[in-house]
Amino acid sequence: MCIAKSKGRVEVKCSMTGKPRTTLRGRTLAGLAVFLFMAVNSTPPLRAQQTDAPSDSNKQPEALLQRIVQLEARLKDVEAALAKAQPGGAVAASAPAPAPAPPSAAAPASTATSAPQGEVPAPQAEQTGQEPMDLNRTLLRIRGYSDVNLHGTTLRGDPASTTAFSLGQVNLFVTSDVSDKFKFLSEVVFEAGNDNVFGVDIERMLLTYSFSDYLNVSVGRYHTAIGYYNTAYHHSTWFQTATGRPFLFAFEDQGGILPIHNVGASITGKVPSGSLGLHYVAEIGNGRAYRTSEPVQNTVDDNTHKALNFAIFARPEAIRGLQVGFSAYRDLLTPAAPLAIDETILAAHAVYTGLDFEWLNEALLIRNAPRGMPRVFNTPGFYSQISRRFRSYRPYFRYQYVNAPANEPIFSPNVGLQHGPSFGLRYDMSEFVAVKVQYDYTMLRGDRAFHTVALQTGFTF
Amino acid sequence: MSSRLSVLSFLSATAVLLSAGLSPGLAPQSHAAADDSLAIVVNRTNPVENLSFSELRKIFLGEQTHWSNRRRITVVMLEPGNSERQAVLAQIYQMGEKDFINYFLHGMFTGEIHAAPKALPSSAEVLKFVLNVPGAIGYVKNPDVNESVKVVRVESRLPSEKEYLLRLHGKLPK
Repeated sequence: MCIAKSKGRVEVKCSMTGKPRTTLRGRTLAGLAVFLFMAVNSTPPLRAQQTDAPSDSNKQPEALLQRIVQLEARLKDVEAALAKAQPGGAVAASAPAPAPAPPSAAAPASTATSAPQGEVPAPQAEQTGQEPMDLNRTLLRIRGYSDVNLHGTTLRGDPASTTAFSLGQVNLFVTSDVSDKFKFLSEVVFEAGNDNVFGVDIERMLLTYSFSDYLNVSVGRYHTAIGYYNTAYHHSTWFQTATGRPFLFAFEDQGGILPIHNVGASITGKVPSGSLGLHYVAEIGNGRAYRTSEPVQNTVDDNTHKALNFAIFARPEAIRGLQVGFSAYRDLLTPAAPLAIDETILAAHAVYTGLDFEWLNEALLIRNAPRGMPRVFNTPGFYSQISRRFRSYRPYFRYQYVNAPANEPIFSPNVGLQHGPSFGLRYDMSEFVAVKVQYDYTMLRGDRAFHTVALQTGFTF
Repeated sequence: MSSRLSVLSFLSATAVLLSAGLSPGLAPQSHAAADDSLAIVVNRTNPVENLSFSELRKIFLGEQTHWSNRRRITVVMLEPGNSERQAVLAQIYQMGEKDFINYFLHGMFTGEIHAAPKALPSSAEVLKFVLNVPGAIGYVKNPDVNESVKVVRVESRLPSEKEYLLRLHGKLPK
């Protein structure tokens, strides 16, 4: 940088190398310090206030001293202006270069793009009653998940029981910061059925308003907070240790017995509980349909009665990774008039998910009580899954069990008794690709047990 | 005359240092080698003065998403490959880079975590970000701190204090 100031006795010239040299007679140190100070603060407003130095060399130190005092006063003014500007988040005078935009990255730090340079971050909205719509901060972020499988089974009679390659779900996970308090989340899933035809489903679609850590209100289509697995693992096999979900938590269109998805509203948050780490979930929705081929009641409900679910769980600080919880779900099923069934689903879980060690345990009881009948049909189920990571390898074991009564009004004859172990190995080829191989042995009531082997490549992109 | 010059020199040098301290890109480096502490910095309007290590961990893990003034917390990290980031991953997150990625991918997928930490290339960028975003929290080496941000005590200690927890080569806090 070369700045020439000819008025007064301080004069700076540029040498051939571009380095400044001073010709100040005597007083070199003081002059250099003053120059540096002025150079660093050489903003237009400051230079506009410069006054001519006295020509008399004897008066120069006093003038410079006076100049420093003036500049210090000016500096205080700038600091005061900065302090006033801060509450609104305005760019302060001491931030000479533009800074990155504040909306958070869609992906974690290592995969996220760096903040765009040359973009001044918009200040966060003030805490007012109404949220202003900031078009510059609304970002749509997409991450994809999918898998490809090869599986074979000794089970006969089902169209999907032949050994075959199969495409898994292609899941586009879309999120957006609508504003500082509103956020949007959805899963758009492309999936082929047993007829080999691809279809598209909106598996999740939630708009959430976050009041605080203690109260978040959401509306849309969500995964019902029954137990642990259903909200911990959605439509991505890549996150899951095993190749698939426990059959207790299988999706409705894959023979699952639970109301995995629901359309309605929910509130979630923390419960002030210190180191116990209590959280709550309360949901109200349409529940599950049994009249139509589409079990999730996206737009029309079989009945006016709404499904209610309440869950509470603890994540104690003392054992990070541990979660213990309970949930209760209640709905009225009307599979065929005039039959009406009161359904209650009670679930409990205790899981530990450390970085290396994982142990999932869940048990639930589905109680279907047809109105006008004295009998209550109880369908119990549980699974336990344990795994341990050794570098990139994670061997795992799962045992699962579900037992629906033979004449259960909703699940019979498709569910019945199913139980058996699964063994598998997951190998993380990279940060974003996992290969799994799994063997299942499944025993059925009144039928032969069957074997299944599956090879899966799950990935995120 | 010589005494006046000495005063003048002192004042000028002080002014230069003060000025440099207010410029993010010109942070003094003279003590960098000796001071390896990591300062936790927030916006100056943030009322927080002190954080326990547990609170700090919850904030960085995305488990606590709002400040006491109800502003949403925005965590800012340095980009991978940075020694300060490695120290924060080891001491605050207590996980490696791969687990960090997986943690936030999974957290965002479940909807429990709103967003992963913002990643910026340099301490100067972190300071600018924290200056401009009222809910931001980040970290820089203590010698890089300037007056545009507020340094938060961790377990009631400032980075300059002996028993301060977060250091480039610090041990894992209990």
